[in-house]
Amino acid sequence: VNMRFATRTFLSSFIPFAVLLAVSFWAIRASVMETVRDGLRASVRDNEVALAREQARNEGRNRKLLEGIGENPSLKAGLQLLATEGGATEQARNTVLDQLSEICDSLSFDFMMVSGARGEPLAAVVRYAGGFAPVNLARLHPPEQGFFSADGRLYEVTSVPIREADSQVATLTVGGLFDISRFGVPAVLLHNGAVITAQMRDLAPAQIERALAACSPLADCNLRIQNEQYLSLPLGRPGGNGNDGYTLRSLQNVDAASAPLQAVLRKLFLVAGFIALAAMLGISALSSRSIARPLVDVVSHLRLSAATGELPEFPETHGGAHEIRDLTQGFNNAARAVHEGRERLTRAYVQFVGSLAQALDARDAYTAGHSRRVSEYSCAIAKALNLTEDDLEIIRVGALLHDLGKIGISDLVLQKPGRLTPEENQLIRQHPVIGKRILENVQGLEAYLGIVELHHENLDGTGYPHGLKGEETPLYARIVKVADAYDAMTSDRPYRRGKSHAEAIAVLRSVSGSEMDPLVVDAFALLGDQRKQQAAFAGNQSLRSLSDAVQGDAEVPGPAATAGLEVVAREREAS
Amino acid sequence: MWIKLGSCALVATAALAGADIHGTIIIERKLSRHNVTASAGMYQRGVAVELGADGETDPLAFERSHVAVYLEGGPKSSGTESGKASIEQKDRRFVPDLVVIPAGSAVSFPNFDPIFHNVFSLSKAKSFDLGNYPEGQSRLVTFPVPGVVAVYCHLHSNMAASIVVAPSRWAVRVDKDGVFALKDVPAGTYTVVAWHKTAGTFRKTVTIGERDAEVSFTLPYAESTDADHVAHR
Repeated sequence: VNMRFATRTFLSSFIPFAVLLAVSFWAIRASVMETVRDGLRASVRDNEVALAREQARNEGRNRKLLEGIGENPSLKAGLQLLATEGGATEQARNTVLDQLSEICDSLSFDFMMVSGARGEPLAAVVRYAGGFAPVNLARLHPPEQGFFSADGRLYEVTSVPIREADSQVATLTVGGLFDISRFGVPAVLLHNGAVITAQMRDLAPAQIERALAACSPLADCNLRIQNEQYLSLPLGRPGGNGNDGYTLRSLQNVDAASAPLQAVLRKLFLVAGFIALAAMLGISALSSRSIARPLVDVVSHLRLSAATGELPEFPETHGGAHEIRDLTQGFNNAARAVHEGRERLTRAYVQFVGSLAQALDARDAYTAGHSRRVSEYSCAIAKALNLTEDDLEIIRVGALLHDLGKIGISDLVLQKPGRLTPEENQLIRQHPVIGKRILENVQGLEAYLGIVELHHENLDGTGYPHGLKGEETPLYARIVKVADAYDAMTSDRPYRRGKSHAEAIAVLRSVSGSEMDPLVVDAFALLGDQRKQQAAFAGNQSLRSLSDAVQGDAEVPGPAATAGLEVVAREREAS
Repeated sequence: MWIKLGSCALVATAALAGADIHGTIIIERKLSRHNVTASAGMYQRGVAVELGADGETDPLAFERSHVAVYLEGGPKSSGTESGKASIEQKDRRFVPDLVVIPAGSAVSFPNFDPIFHNVFSLSKAKSFDLGNYPEGQSRLVTFPVPGVVAVYCHLHSNMAASIVVAPSRWAVRVDKDGVFALKDVPAGTYTVVAWHKTAGTFRKTVTIGERDAEVSFTLPYAESTDADHVAHR
């Protein structure tokens, strides 16, 4: 994958940590949730067990109380009355019904029934419309233990014996309306697996039935309804669970009990997780940045070097890692070596080419020193025009080399005294192109090509080799052209003496604007007689530039003249 | 069959030309707690009402009206004397729950409830059991021996009534104001006896001459607390 180093560093530090963090948070949360749920389930269970025990104890107490009722002598007298008078006697049964109503009323029961020794029901009353009504025993057969429903109401009953002399002569059955909410925990009553009544209004009976179908009637049961955990315990009830098809169970939603705590935990974990992730993000970003920054700097530096060809050295960095510092130092050393090598090479070329120029000058005694003088005049003009040091350097070397192309021109033509034929003239005119061709393949001398090639172009386009006009000729070449013409005019020739300074300036002024750049001519005119200045300057060997190296001690003094140049100058003067 | 007790007494005492004994019973505090169930019907029972809680019935008036006063030491009540006394069984209660009769009188026990009742007593003065009998029937019991007879119902254990059988024919039940009068008592020295079911028996000696006598009792503080009524069971 092609991506930036900083991005890769960031991702490789952030992603594993983020994943690790998320997974561990998730795992911790899940385990905490499970623990909380288990704890709650246990506490709900304990609570229910305690309630069931309390329930059982209450049942026991109630039973003793009921057995006391079974000893009621009035009731026994009533039963005796019923036995002696016979069930057919309306008033006898009414007497017993009245007794039952009275007992029911005083003990807040809702149902009471007496049965004979063989279990045959004798009389029963039920609370009805603020009072009590007799039960039609031909139609309703309440059990001695358990549940029965009458008129859409569910009754819960239990029975105690009525004894005479240790033998049971009758059975008293008492009961109340079944109140499912009395257990203190959510409960459900089932008959043969079908829900009779339940406290959970938000659950459909069918759901409860399906879920509880798997539970053993006498055991604890964990179940799931609507994706929520429920706990169900058998609840104590008269008659015992399951014997008559009725089952009474608690049904507690464990998840609902732990829901508030779970919500708090979830929120806590989310907040902590986000904070940790954000911290992770920041740390990753910072660390990847600190790792990648020096490398990015190095890379951008190298890219700049590649683009410019320059090899600038790195500023000394103190903050970077050892490796980075070694890298930049290595680069700096290499860059320095390359710089030095390149400089040496350039110097060697310049020396070599300069030597060529000198050799050229030396071919004719009259042109000896010409290149050096043109170079000096050009530099003086450049200084007067406020050009930079770099410009000066180019002009100095370029002026030295400006007539290099004359190497390729025969001495016969070059040193021919007298007029040149048009063919010979044509040959002479090729020297800027020849000079350019010699230099253009040498690396490092590109800057001087303009001067060598174009120092014979005229402002009005009448020059050679291309006939460029005005600004199309670079300033360097225009400066060198003025200096070249001046030196040609003021140098002595075998056939004439050189012109004086004033005469030469006058000639330059006469062609200023047509051949010469007026700005350059004006600047040169203001400088005064350069030859005097040069004489004073000659003793001063302070030239440290490359031109120094070119000239060296190989200066050939003496008034040696070249006919060719004279011809050129003459022709120029004539035109 | 009802005999006019008053006219007989008047006939008997006219010759003696005795004086009257007037008296007052002062009850200083409640002597018993009475919870009366006010029954509306056969199978309809209202909430328990504490007597006097409604303000109309003075609890002390209830206590005063449940005091029996009679004379001891006078001429013995002859066995021929009989009174028209009746204790009805109505709404699972004996009405009235206190009857004062001279010895030898008979009391009838009619059942006006649509259910069976049973009337019995185990008291020394008179033991009897009238059995279970339904609505519309009645039983008659004669009480020849003086004493207090406690009457109950086997079928309804909260039903109870007291019959005070006095040794003389001067025997009355005090009215709500606590006032009683024993008329035409021959001259002589007597013991006036006041009896209350829970407070007990109180005695005061009084000598009757030409003029009427005044006897007052303050219950429950009495010189004598001989509670002979406790012996009945």
